[in-house]
Amino acid sequence: MKKLLSLTVGLFFMFIAACSGGEEASGNGGIELTLWNDWTEDRPENTVYKDIIKQFNEEHEDITIKMESIPHDQYETKLRTQAAGKQLPDMMRVWPGARTAPLAEGGVLLPLNSIVDNWKDIIPDEILQDYAINGNYYAIPSNISETSLIFYHKDKLKEAGYEQFPSTYEELKKLIGMLNDNKETPISLGNKSVWPLQSIYISTIADRYTGSDFLGNVLSKEETFENDQFINALTVIKELTEIQAFNEDMNTIDEAQARSEFINGTTAMHLAGSWAIGPILEGVDDPDSIGVAAFPSFAGGEGDPSKIAGVAGGGIALNSELNDEEKEAAFTFLKYFYAEDLYQQLAQANIIVPADIPMDDDVPRLFQKANRFAQNGLAPVYDATLTPDLTDMINNGLQSITLDEKTPEALAKEMQALLEEGN
Amino acid sequence: MHLLGKKGIIIIGLLPALLFYILFAIYPIIQSFYYSFMQWDGFSEMTFVGLDNFKELFQDSLFWNSVKNNIYVVIASVLGQIPIALLIALLLNRKLKGVRFFRTIGFLPVVLSTVVISLTWSLMYNSKNGMINQLLQSIGLRELAQNWLGDPQWAMIAVLVTVIWQFVGLYLIIFLAALQNVPDEVIEAAKMDGASEWATTWKITIPMIWDTIIVAIILCISGSLKTFDLIYVMTNGGPSHSTDVMALYMFQETFSQLNYGYGSAVSVFIFFFSLILIFIVTKVLGKKMI
Repeated sequence: MKKLLSLTVGLFFMFIAACSGGEEASGNGGIELTLWNDWTEDRPENTVYKDIIKQFNEEHEDITIKMESIPHDQYETKLRTQAAGKQLPDMMRVWPGARTAPLAEGGVLLPLNSIVDNWKDIIPDEILQDYAINGNYYAIPSNISETSLIFYHKDKLKEAGYEQFPSTYEELKKLIGMLNDNKETPISLGNKSVWPLQSIYISTIADRYTGSDFLGNVLSKEETFENDQFINALTVIKELTEIQAFNEDMNTIDEAQARSEFINGTTAMHLAGSWAIGPILEGVDDPDSIGVAAFPSFAGGEGDPSKIAGVAGGGIALNSELNDEEKEAAFTFLKYFYAEDLYQQLAQANIIVPADIPMDDDVPRLFQKANRFAQNGLAPVYDATLTPDLTDMINNGLQSITLDEKTPEALAKEMQALLEEGN
Repeated sequence: MHLLGKKGIIIIGLLPALLFYILFAIYPIIQSFYYSFMQWDGFSEMTFVGLDNFKELFQDSLFWNSVKNNIYVVIASVLGQIPIALLIALLLNRKLKGVRFFRTIGFLPVVLSTVVISLTWSLMYNSKNGMINQLLQSIGLRELAQNWLGDPQWAMIAVLVTVIWQFVGLYLIIFLAALQNVPDEVIEAAKMDGASEWATTWKITIPMIWDTIIVAIILCISGSLKTFDLIYVMTNGGPSHSTDVMALYMFQETFSQLNYGYGSAVSVFIFFFSLILIFIVTKVLGKKMI
């Protein structure tokens, strides 16, 4: 009996030990750093990132970067949950502005102020600022994400009588009418996940109406969401739905499905960010049959119609609990990773990069054009600027507008109420 | 052998399981209670706010909307899954040909991954090229075609049909097992007394498996109250919150909007809500279950 008892207790403690002891360093003298990312998809830019890390591991014997890839849709939820449990990895991919702010303000991220000068000459300050929270820099962006581009099939526009993409909203509405007359679905939209109407559409449309200072002014209480120009912007979504600009199943398919509808040629246009350039160029038979345009101008708008909504892309942030040795190793890695080599390779993979690098003629025209849009200055992206609960409200609110369950005025009012209640 | 006595051995045997249960089930529940009194974004300092989270919760129309939808799920499950499963089980119990084949088909949805089910049904429901609308069109009932998941009026109904379909098989198997335990002698005796099929089913078979039916109803209610994955994949609560349920609402509040305190308050509500509902059901159906 005693034997049985000691066996049970022994087994039990072994179990406990096995549960708690998994985190020991794997030896071989060097420093091992874990990096979480969302590079699960087989896309050119993900391969670039992974290759550079592999190269780094080969060149540095004393530092090993261990990657853990988590699908993008689950990634941020996982990050936030783990942060709440103080279980963050040594390094992790993050996104700028409001998406990093809670982590930074919670003190779980390490400020990079001591090494940020390293990039001062390569990356424009306004892009670096996207990762600055209360004066501290938390990550270095590898790319710029333009969130509002219009992709279109040139031949379908030609059939409707347009050689050029319309430059005003009134003209765009006419085009949509022509396409509908031709029994062609004008725009493919996948709004099941509710963010596209906000991030892709409103970020730029609202900027055209209100100007780029509006969002900041609202958040600092100098301005309100019940501003007429902002309501005008929300009304555009209502109007587009009413003139049947979108596919009827827009609220039941997701963004990737909408993109493949466009690639397959079932719709004439698709609105998406720069993340869609690569997949679209790869998906169509003839890249030259696809055109890209910036959003049109809106009559009466106070914003700069040459701007496009955009924000710094993902960057790598560090855990604030790294010890000195690990910190040095992580800094070495960041300097190695965010170098000209990375930006060159990314540009070749059709990713818009913040660094100014020369481009030769074999780069697809579509990409060159999209890349130029960024030079006119970037307007704020809504979900990168608003707090998570406001983002959630406008996301769902826009969907309700498309279903005629809410008016633009009501949504603006609710958003203002939530903002005032918030603090 | 007498060192510890029989009870001692039982306790030692239970200890490991009990410890894990406390660690992974009881402790998190208590922790949720604790968090529900806090305002907390997950990272920074918690602040004690007393019952504020609950006050906010009871005034939150989106939350009540999710409670309402959740009650629909409970009703549809109890009134849909159980009778259908019972009916099929009674049929299959009649020594039909190919019983095993039908049993397997009935049980298949239960072993399929929920994600697979949700995606398949989403494709079927698609308004443009989904199977259901195309079927309606091909038989000339075009006007019955709907934007099933995209229209707030239909989305919940469409989801409920899938929920019912998914779990009928589970209760079918439970009922079949119970029916096989009904002794043949009783049925034969009834037949000799001249009872009709109808009477035998209602007066003998059903009462003899009544306990099982109650267990099934309780499983059904508690399962419906925590329903999450199917709706998460099919509609993610949309369009415009028309298919939001409590667990989904809690998940979004907690992890997308970083209101850990408020989210915990929702979980506490779900906890008591389930407890009360199950208590009422056991009282009404007149059986001691807990």
